[in-house]
Amino acid sequence: MKLNPDERWDLIDSIASHVVTYGEYRHTLKDAIGELTVKPMTGIPIAIAVMYCFWSVFGSFAGTLCTDGFFVKLFDGYWLPWLQEVFPGKGGWLYSILIDAGGMTNGEFILSDNCFEAFGVLTSGLFVAIGVVLPAIVIFYLMLTLLEDIGYMPRLAVLIDTVLHKIGLHGYAIVPTILSLGCNVPAVTATRILETRKQRFIMMTLLAIFIPCGAQLGIMEEVIPGLVGYVLLYLVIGYFIFGFVLNKIVPGKSPEILIDVPQYQKPMMANVRRKLWMRVSSFFKVAVPFVLLGCVVVNVLYLVGFIQWLGDLLAPVFVGWFGVPKETAGPLVAAFLRKDLAVAQLSVIEMTQYQMLSAVVLVSIYFPCVATFAMMLKEGWKELIGSVAVLAVVVFLYGGIIHLIGKLLGVA
Amino acid sequence: MKILLMGHPNVGKSVFFNRLTGANVIESNYSGTTVDYTRGYMSLDGKEVEVVDVPGTFSLDPKDRAEEVAVAMLKEAKDAYVICVIDSSKLERGLYLALQIMEEGYSVIIALNMDDVAEDKNIKIDSQKLEQILGVPVVSTIAIENIGISKVISRLKDAKPVDVEDITVMRAGMNHRGKCGCT
Amino acid sequence: MEKRLSELNFDEEGIVKEIDESLLRQVAGMGVRIGKNVRMTTKQPMKGPVVVEIDKSFTSLGRSMAEKIVVEVKK
Repeated sequence: MKLNPDERWDLIDSIASHVVTYGEYRHTLKDAIGELTVKPMTGIPIAIAVMYCFWSVFGSFAGTLCTDGFFVKLFDGYWLPWLQEVFPGKGGWLYSILIDAGGMTNGEFILSDNCFEAFGVLTSGLFVAIGVVLPAIVIFYLMLTLLEDIGYMPRLAVLIDTVLHKIGLHGYAIVPTILSLGCNVPAVTATRILETRKQRFIMMTLLAIFIPCGAQLGIMEEVIPGLVGYVLLYLVIGYFIFGFVLNKIVPGKSPEILIDVPQYQKPMMANVRRKLWMRVSSFFKVAVPFVLLGCVVVNVLYLVGFIQWLGDLLAPVFVGWFGVPKETAGPLVAAFLRKDLAVAQLSVIEMTQYQMLSAVVLVSIYFPCVATFAMMLKEGWKELIGSVAVLAVVVFLYGGIIHLIGKLLGVA
Repeated sequence: MKILLMGHPNVGKSVFFNRLTGANVIESNYSGTTVDYTRGYMSLDGKEVEVVDVPGTFSLDPKDRAEEVAVAMLKEAKDAYVICVIDSSKLERGLYLALQIMEEGYSVIIALNMDDVAEDKNIKIDSQKLEQILGVPVVSTIAIENIGISKVISRLKDAKPVDVEDITVMRAGMNHRGKCGCT
Repeated sequence: MEKRLSELNFDEEGIVKEIDESLLRQVAGMGVRIGKNVRMTTKQPMKGPVVVEIDKSFTSLGRSMAEKIVVEVKK
């Protein structure tokens, strides 16, 4: 037999009256903190503080401590010189792809002296994957998992709902958004907490375009630390502007938030460890092959002259419309495979600060990496085509706008 | 035999799951969707039994994709045993879901989890009486401290389908709208 | 006095009187139901969501959902 909601509640009430006794309710400290962190007056400053801590820990642990403090020394000091020495066939095509493409100066073959410039699969590829991305991803997911298991995320969702509802989403969209700062792939999965196709489409499109992943953030912290803030600013602004537009043009409903706000609780370490391990390992199954493959493909494309050809072809758009050097065409091709790789490539191209900023923003908003692409295809090819169409428009428009802003500010 | 672990989000379901299965867990994708769930194995009377950590849901009337999957997973496993994990401090809400699952004809066992939290809040639940009334095993647990988990396992065999109409009989004389002729 | 849930002031309490049919099943599982005591915990600015306390648990609802629930205000 099945009951309707009213009958079910009646039954529950009479059961409860037999089995539960409520003593005097003591308001606990947890309740008090719970309320403080969800009330706008106190909750919003706390949320900003939490996000700021998140970011500082991320930057100082991943960037300063692990990458600069350990991996750069390891890779540049020992791994690179050793490989350059022992690998046979210096200057040959296999050497260029796997170890070091080097550079020709006055007709002389010069080896690179660091792993950002060598660009071999076994040097830069491994360095980016292990030295830069691994620490970034681990610390990111650790903090996110803690915030989740403590029970903070629903409160953040409530606080940010007002704004997100204006772009057709609701507060819980903060979960895929933040998850996406780790990796876009599981974030696409997490769009499931949104109710309608419209919401999921908007969310997926926005995160594919505007949210840089942890790998990208890690490498940005590493190669252009002074510019990361500005890059993020441009991305956040874009997220809201284009979200607002999408909400207006995409048909469908945008239901409101309806969530439980749980009590805070102590996270269980075994649980955190398991979740962390799952997230990091599944990230690496996706990331490492693509980083290495990315290196191979890009190196081959350079060797056969394709990148130069594409650069020349797109030069008018790049130089005239986006205001960046035509050499950035190469990184943009690489970005399709791995965006972190692309940022690393950009960092060794000669250009002004503002050009660098524009180029990094472009790489970020330009195509999602192959893995995200595949994930979105799983959601439906119509959505994917829609997203790609939006993306093309956004890259073109926003790239131009950024250039224009730079010109107006007199820095481009 | 298959065991489904169901309950609201944030009732310590995944901790409970960890306790039941140990380290050997598999993250899977529910076919045709982007909803992931975890499953693992536990040994019961020397046999390996599959345990599925179903995505958290408040009711069987889904309000988003994850809840839809939770409901679909339940409906697919017709002969599954369901461990319904309830937050003891929010018994009524939890029973709402538990009753819905029982109405679908599943063998249910109820874990009154976070017993310590309820105690902190001065809420006392007579789990034996609840068991008598509902006719399904009811066990108090604190999954985070590994309390009551083995009892849940040992009582699994007592779980059996219960017609909610029989529960209605138990409360004769109380204020209710009579035996309903509902669907 | 009857009010919409969305009109409750901060910290004001009431008894749920009426829930719009379109919302009934959605909120039932979360414990929002007729006859229950409800307290307004927070109202986010700019027509943001509300957070209400029912049975010691907190639920957040969008503003227009809260408009579809009628409560009898406690004095």
